Amino acid sequence: MRRLQLFRTLILRPLRRDLLRTVLTILAVALGVGVVIAIDLAGDAATGSFRSSLETLVGKTDLEIVANGGVDERWMAELTALPLNARFAPLVETQGVIERMGAVTVYGVDFVAHGRGQVGKPVPQLDTAAIVSSALAKRVGVTEGGHVTLTLNDASRTFQVAGITDARDAEFVLLDIATAQRALNAYGRLDRIDVFVSPHDDFARVEREIRSALPASYRIEKPGTRSEENQRMLRAFRWNLRVLSYISLVVGAFLIYNTISVSVVRRRTEIGVLRALGAGRRWILWLFLGESLLFGLAGSLAGIALGRLMAEGAVGLIAQTVNSLYVSSRPAAVDLGAPAVVTAILAGIAVAFLSALAPAREAMQVAPVEAMGRGAHEHHARMHVRRDLAWAAFVAIVAYAVSRVRPVDGKPIAGYATTLLAIVAMALAAPALVTGLAAATRKASRAMFGPEGLLAVRGLAATLARTSVVVGALATAIAMMASVGIMVGSFRETVIVWLDAQLRADLYVGPAARAGAGAHPALSADVPALVSSIPGVEAVDIFHAIEFDYKGQRASLGAGDSEVVRRYGRLRFLPGEDREAILRSLVGQDRVIVSEPFANKHGVRAGDVVTLPLGAHLVKVTVAGVYYDYSSERGWVIFDNSTLLKYLPDLPATNLAIYARKDADASQVRHAIEESLAKYRVVVAPNRSLRQNAVVVFDRTFAITYALEGVAIVVAMLGAANSLLAMVLDRRREFGLLRYLGAAPAQVRRMILLEAGFLGLAANLLGLALGFVLSLVLIYVINKQSFGWTIQFHPPLALLASASALVWVTTVLAGIYPARTAARLNPIEVIHEE
Amino acid sequence: MVVSMNPPRLELRRASKIYQTNGQKLEALRDVSLTLEPGTITALVGRSGCGKTTLLNLAGAMDFPTSGEVLIDGRATSSLSEEELTALRRSRIGFVFQFFQLLPALTALENVELPLLLAGAPKSREVARRRLEWVELAEKADSFPYQLSGGQMQRVAIARALAQTPEILIADEPTGNLDNASGDQVLALLRDAAQRFGATVLMATHSAEAAAIAQTRVQMRDGRVAAIERA
Repeated sequence: MRRLQLFRTLILRPLRRDLLRTVLTILAVALGVGVVIAIDLAGDAATGSFRSSLETLVGKTDLEIVANGGVDERWMAELTALPLNARFAPLVETQGVIERMGAVTVYGVDFVAHGRGQVGKPVPQLDTAAIVSSALAKRVGVTEGGHVTLTLNDASRTFQVAGITDARDAEFVLLDIATAQRALNAYGRLDRIDVFVSPHDDFARVEREIRSALPASYRIEKPGTRSEENQRMLRAFRWNLRVLSYISLVVGAFLIYNTISVSVVRRRTEIGVLRALGAGRRWILWLFLGESLLFGLAGSLAGIALGRLMAEGAVGLIAQTVNSLYVSSRPAAVDLGAPAVVTAILAGIAVAFLSALAPAREAMQVAPVEAMGRGAHEHHARMHVRRDLAWAAFVAIVAYAVSRVRPVDGKPIAGYATTLLAIVAMALAAPALVTGLAAATRKASRAMFGPEGLLAVRGLAATLARTSVVVGALATAIAMMASVGIMVGSFRETVIVWLDAQLRADLYVGPAARAGAGAHPALSADVPALVSSIPGVEAVDIFHAIEFDYKGQRASLGAGDSEVVRRYGRLRFLPGEDREAILRSLVGQDRVIVSEPFANKHGVRAGDVVTLPLGAHLVKVTVAGVYYDYSSERGWVIFDNSTLLKYLPDLPATNLAIYARKDADASQVRHAIEESLAKYRVVVAPNRSLRQNAVVVFDRTFAITYALEGVAIVVAMLGAANSLLAMVLDRRREFGLLRYLGAAPAQVRRMILLEAGFLGLAANLLGLALGFVLSLVLIYVINKQSFGWTIQFHPPLALLASASALVWVTTVLAGIYPARTAARLNPIEVIHEE
Repeated sequence: MVVSMNPPRLELRRASKIYQTNGQKLEALRDVSLTLEPGTITALVGRSGCGKTTLLNLAGAMDFPTSGEVLIDGRATSSLSEEELTALRRSRIGFVFQFFQLLPALTALENVELPLLLAGAPKSREVARRRLEWVELAEKADSFPYQLSGGQMQRVAIARALAQTPEILIADEPTGNLDNASGDQVLALLRDAAQRFGATVLMATHSAEAAAIAQTRVQMRDGRVAAIERA
């Protein structure tokens, strides 16, 4: 009870007195925690719902039969003939597009067998009927008997709504399976056969029987496998986003450290008195840890509310990335559950506790004799600049060694550890930099800014313990900004150079119904021939693409005309690989080229032989080469058309790359193509617009990254303002004295602003240096281990310069309020307050 | 006191100072009148809380009387603008404090040089060095305050107060925190300041030795001047 009272007088009362600083610290923690929560919640919402929405309707399936390139319908007869107590349901699944509503999942199911079950009555006119889920019907605004127009592949079709089926919040359209196959030009092909096993039968026996009846290349999966695959595919992406979100929390940790340090330094005499009156060391330790826990708890609670709000904004950004890079999905609602709340509170408290440990221990060491001291200002924090610098070098060496460690379970743990160690090394080097910079600029700052310059530089160097923490916090935020900026800038430049090499054709044709990554809508069968016959067209690369499964991971499978690519394209292969020879070797051979992310993900190299399940075949193919590709993280395996169509003869074309004759007018050729394809819903895109589009998608993908950086910078700014304010309060005697010595209020103000400027300069120097190092870690360790891309190093210098200038200006602006406070201090009060 | 046609350097005319704290009035100074001439030392003596420091602040133009006037060279301090007050403190008034109040981040030389720099005075480094020589601490020019003894710190503080050769030197318990030997050195410097530099020295003190160097001793009680003794 007595202790609680002391805690109130010694800790709570000063916090109330310095309300602005208290609020700034809590806000910094709240932002850090809020970002972590927001990314977690938004990530869940954007990627959470991959379970087949059909499940809500037909009940839980027991097994799913799937195959790369589709399941041949004829197996249905074989399976139903098996002496098993099981039901088999064929299924076609695709993405359709509803005008102005976006992509929607379309299922083809057997209306004859099951249609009645969906809407309680037989479905008439199977070839034009659609059943719409209630949530979608509500969003589109359609009722039973109304019409819905769907773009499937390259054609729009209007269906009559034969019924609305209640499937909670799932959105989909059901068509009769034959109608769906017709619409998709996929006669005789299924995407899946769902198996419902009677509870009276032996499950293992059923599975065994089905297995032995089907080709070895077919997969029999437990339901949820696809959802798990999707989650696994997104794991690296979400991991990296999560780690990025923790940076703000690290910046927040610096600030708590700083606040508690100030609190200890200012109360040394009080601590001394308490010790002299018999307070134990441990008790003093907990007094200050209690203060930090208070910050952690208050910050966490505010952070939860803030995070819930920010998640709403983040979910759209994350969903865009998932959609354009990984898999088509519709974000679900943001759901703040108990685990997120607990994580937030634990994260906030843990960060507060850990960052306060060092200053609280310092408080514990205060000897009772310090009660006789004349106040906190006489205390000089004992800094060990040289020793810390040696430690910094040691930690940096360890960081380098750690960066060489291979990924653990596909996660670049070593990369993250390297990042954290690099930040620690930077924090340890900060005092040396501040002292060095102060010494180096002493003459110059005095010459340029007079006594204010001298006092500013000296003042900062004298309060090194505190200054270097602020510099460390700001530098961490700047380093993050710089490193991510360099990484994204390099990536962008790499992609632009790659696009230049990859996109050599003059025009590209694809179906209008492209919904997102992993969706490969087909072109109608006669489109390639129509295009090839147009005058002015020199060559057409007919491309076929499907989603496929390789060793339990999602990838894309494609086939093109390697002769056209060889002659007109500029596909780039890994160093040492001969493009001409590789492309020539594909024709008619069981040989493929694979994209770099595929090669890295599966540890495949040129010359390796891999087995690919294709339709009913297991095909052994030789990897002829590995090419650079930045279009998808899931990876590509590419055949020549002659080979793939041998195994999957009914595979429809999905895209055309058209090379116009040199003497032809490209816009006329485009016009002619558009005219001849007028009845199809296709997109004819000229080279330039495709490239621009790709860059737009790229920029959208990294929007969330920039948003995260912004928050870290804001947290650091709060820190800068907070620390400058602390410094003013702490050195008020000095400012009062300056007034006695004849300093004008404007001179005091100028001095604080100069200090802010110096602080910003030191933080910028350190932050940019660290940022440069971290960008190397991001590009060559974390990115490579997570995504498998080779990124060429291209630092966006103009962007970096303007961003760091902006940060510097903001740091100076953060000094305005503290400067005004200092200038307004009553000199008599502060000089005589002892 | 010297009779002259010129206004006295520092004059308090029925100066009173009332502080309002938590709705309560505190009369720190009541109706004090004093006249101080160049080259003289005046000591304020009396118990703690009798108004010595308040009087020093009024005399140093750091604070203003609630009623009455403080005149420096005939001009009331309360009539001066902020700029004029800053200029006054810069060039014409020096302060010495009980706890020295050196800036810990600056060396002894830089501490002495600081008022000169703030005022933009020429050859500041040279002047500062001369002042340090005067207080016999030239060899400590590059030492930081924490490397100096209490007596040395106070001598640096006096050198700093005299850096601009001010006409008025305000000293608040200048020997209060020093041993006897150091205190004697400081007092010798204050005497020198009055004699050599012609400064008007106004000093608050509890020490009989310090009061003994003054030509005028002002005994204060409850914010009033109880008695004035002249040597």
